[in-house]
Amino acid sequence: MVRIVLTPDWFLGFDVLIELFSFVVLAIFSVLSIRNYRLNKNKKNFLYIGIGFGLIALAQLATILTKTVLYYDFSVIRQVGNAIVTSNFVSSVDIFYHIGFFFYRFLTLAGFYMIYRLHNKRTYLGESLLFGYFILLSALLSTDMYYLFHLTCLGILMLIIRNYYVIYKKNRFLNTKILLIVFGILALGQILFIFPNGALQATANIVELISYGLLLFLAVKIRENDTKKKSNGDNIRHAGGNHAKRRKH
Amino acid sequence: MEIISDMLVVIMQKGGSIKPTHLMYKANLSHKQMKGYLDELEKKNLIIKNNNEEKSKESAIKITENGRTFLFKYSEMKQFEKTFGL
Repeated sequence: MVRIVLTPDWFLGFDVLIELFSFVVLAIFSVLSIRNYRLNKNKKNFLYIGIGFGLIALAQLATILTKTVLYYDFSVIRQVGNAIVTSNFVSSVDIFYHIGFFFYRFLTLAGFYMIYRLHNKRTYLGESLLFGYFILLSALLSTDMYYLFHLTCLGILMLIIRNYYVIYKKNRFLNTKILLIVFGILALGQILFIFPNGALQATANIVELISYGLLLFLAVKIRENDTKKKSNGDNIRHAGGNHAKRRKH
Repeated sequence: MEIISDMLVVIMQKGGSIKPTHLMYKANLSHKQMKGYLDELEKKNLIIKNNNEEKSKESAIKITENGRTFLFKYSEMKQFEKTFGL
């Protein structure tokens, strides 16, 4: 019998819980970002980040649904699958496996690409289309060569890490450092996912859990109200580090 | 948006209520500029002007619940912006 997922038997179910947690964290970030865009519609980047995290959240949802169907017996869905393709049970599982995991891979790569693209101001349409083509190709071919998806993911994550490293070098902001670590841990998870070893697959899942846990911590930190820290002096312009000059309008 | 946020922060730091002259000095605005912003803030229900002529010569400016919520969201947005280097 061909193994559909590489997760070891003793870890089945835990991986779905981890993905559920990741979905919640990513959805929180997506909502946070889109809410910021609604507050300041001049900053389109808020919207792009929101869409990026939203796509990865949807990817997690796709894998949760697929794995839930695979791990547990859902006779209704199985019957639908049978009706579409064949009366063979294995084929119905194949439908969910192919469609579900394809969406997981495609949406994950598209989401990460969206986050990477944010800081590349001069991106041409042709370049984006080419990237889109490779993402689609990678998502499709990964059905047979599962490691291709993790390699592509790792590549995009490395580009994101590079972007945030440059930003962190400029602003030295703790939150940016945390974000950098989050993407770093996610990249490490992708390296572990490449190896077809049960224990490493479970470790990769735990590594992913740590990264999304840290992302949740970052979301909480961002939500902390820092208005009290903004000014202690007589004049708010001094407190902000700017020179006290009369505002021009 | 930044000026509006700054003005609301100043009011908050004064316990939610401030006299216009204090606000003008702390926010570093001219009288004309401040009047314009105050009208805008009042129109958006972020502040209310408390016109109590008997007790004081100057009317107090108070931040509303809407104003506090706006300030919280704005602060969150700035944190987010800085985190992602936007």
